[in-house]
Amino acid sequence: MSQREEQIERIFAEGVSRLVARATDNHGLTGETLIPRVRAVVGKYILRDDAQAPLDVIKDFIDKLQADDLCLIVACEQGNQKAWTDLVERFSATVRSAARSASSNEEGAEDLAQSIWAELHGLRLRADGKPAGKLAYYSGRGSLAGWLRAVVAQLAIDQHRKQSRLVQTEEDADFDRIIQHGPEENTWSGHGGAPNPELQISAKLAGEQMQKALADSVKQLSAEDRLLVKLYYFDGLRLRQAGAVLGVHEATASRRLTRVHAKLRQQVERILIEQDGWTRPETERAFTEVALKLEADIEPLLATEGVLMNEENEVTG
Amino acid sequence: MAAFFRGHRNNQMKEANNNEVDLLLRSFARERSQSRPQSGSAGDGERVFSDHLDADELNSYAEGVVPAAARARYTAHLADCDACRGVVIGLTQATGAANRYEVSEPQGGLSFWQKLAALFSPAVLRYAVPALVLTAAIGLGLLALRQQRRTEFLARNEPVITQSPQSETSSTLKPTQPPATNQNATQPEKNTESTNERSKLQDQKIQAGQAPLIGESSAQKAPGKDSGEPVARAGAGAGVEDLRPSYAPEPKKEAPAPAVARDAEKSAELAKVQTANREDQDRARNEYKSQPTDEVHGPSRSSNNAALPASQRSAGLMGARGPSVNKNKNNAEVETRTVSGRRFVREEDAWVDTAYESSRATTKVARGSDQFRALVADEPGIRAIAEQLNGVVIVVWKNRAYRIQ
Repeated sequence: MSQREEQIERIFAEGVSRLVARATDNHGLTGETLIPRVRAVVGKYILRDDAQAPLDVIKDFIDKLQADDLCLIVACEQGNQKAWTDLVERFSATVRSAARSASSNEEGAEDLAQSIWAELHGLRLRADGKPAGKLAYYSGRGSLAGWLRAVVAQLAIDQHRKQSRLVQTEEDADFDRIIQHGPEENTWSGHGGAPNPELQISAKLAGEQMQKALADSVKQLSAEDRLLVKLYYFDGLRLRQAGAVLGVHEATASRRLTRVHAKLRQQVERILIEQDGWTRPETERAFTEVALKLEADIEPLLATEGVLMNEENEVTG
Repeated sequence: MAAFFRGHRNNQMKEANNNEVDLLLRSFARERSQSRPQSGSAGDGERVFSDHLDADELNSYAEGVVPAAARARYTAHLADCDACRGVVIGLTQATGAANRYEVSEPQGGLSFWQKLAALFSPAVLRYAVPALVLTAAIGLGLLALRQQRRTEFLARNEPVITQSPQSETSSTLKPTQPPATNQNATQPEKNTESTNERSKLQDQKIQAGQAPLIGESSAQKAPGKDSGEPVARAGAGAGVEDLRPSYAPEPKKEAPAPAVARDAEKSAELAKVQTANREDQDRARNEYKSQPTDEVHGPSRSSNNAALPASQRSAGLMGARGPSVNKNKNNAEVETRTVSGRRFVREEDAWVDTAYESSRATTKVARGSDQFRALVADEPGIRAIAEQLNGVVIVVWKNRAYRIQ
């Protein structure tokens, strides 16, 4: 064992001791029981991405684990009935709430809430004879309530996918489908009302080229920017909500989105000029025409969305 | 300014460009959602699902507790995975993360240079520069208006400064000055005072500056002699032009002088006192300010004005000061009247200008004649004299003597 590995093991032992001491109810767990769990968590979140991560980072990471929640889950995993009772009593309401959010009806929500406990415990046994439940995947990094919500959401997705398997259609990558097949009616054409078929064809071709250039440009964005575009445009989130997912303030998200717009514009123009042989005036004219056409198409839709949004605010407010 | 408008135009172009990209992205997302099968949140197939983030990773990401390196990896996955992104969105909204980040922006804060750059950003300058220009224009306008008011005050205050010593001196001369006896004649004096006060008081300033010379000439001149008057008038006129501010009203040279008659000796004394006691002016000014208004504008002040030559006393005054009775050195009562800056002495049945010499030839003008009408039309001062003095009037006007009868 290298010196670094020894140092890391020492940090694990000390960190787990502090963790057990921090817990208000450790359910009789000892450091030896928790060390494998903590080691797996550190490897997953730190050492996988940076094997030479500073020891201080590891130590700090361990000290920020949710001691009570982790001890409760590990105790449940160890078969502690009292811990199970505590878990169900404390988090049944959270699970039901998450199930209602993930299900389209009350009956489905109740079924989902009941099945979650079985999923947590595990119906099958692992090689070591212990149940292969989802409890083994809780790291203690986030809150137990949040983790339970995530488990419920994933379970709902899994159930929905199984139910719709018979009608499952082909899933393509995010942008490939549109690029390859194209929309049935291309609304990107700036000459939609042009009577000349030749003009219509050329306009459609121009729209498709611009659409492809935009898709390629979005792909070339950084992960953070691409996620922001997806959250805001594809998932329909508001900037405040998108910023919350990204961990930034709404104003920061707004500034970042403005910067993304400029970046996409430059990138699309570059692709159209370099790859498709457009001239700069043609790209500018195409942008203007397409935008005018889209503005006319989208305005009624945005107005409808605005009405629905107001109604939603009135209900939730 | 040109740079500002150029920057403003660039900003507008950028906004338009951003708007175009915004519309394109909205349309892109709409078409994509329409073309995709409605399979709920499970956006990916079984093969891809095995690579999804687990519940712990999703929750840690939503709660913002993932280490930076792992977070970048998860972000890249979330950007391309609808299912995981949907779970994270749901978790974020459920945990109220939006509210948590609501206050994080002010706490994070900006650096000094970022704040400075934001202060001079085009978005701020777009409104700040016109506001500054407008404020500067308003400020300059107010300043100009204030300057204009100040000059008006200056023109009005000038006489006050020079008048004070006279008031003081007049108080010393009061016992020797007979008060005006004709109340009817003093009434128009008050009426004309307000309108001609500025010119009159300005003449007093000139008087203060040239008092020794004027006083001397006055003393040398005998009553009825007008040989020195044109010179004095010319000198006074030059003084008026030199000392008068450009914004001051044009003095009316044909205007009558103050009403009270003066003798030459007292004028000379007064002038000497004025030139000798320059240092007392400040003190006198203070005393003047404390004096009641009636004293300043009363007959005593008129007596002070009498120290001036007729031409200087007349500036800005058109009204007659009314008849008065003066006592000469021999205590003989002589009826005098001052009209249009000319002092007339009653001699038998005629009013004779004190500047008139008996040896001088006169031009006879009959009242009501064409010649009379032409004369009064050209010389309003003579008209005033002819209207206010009945009977025969001998007046010296512009170095010519007229006999109006």
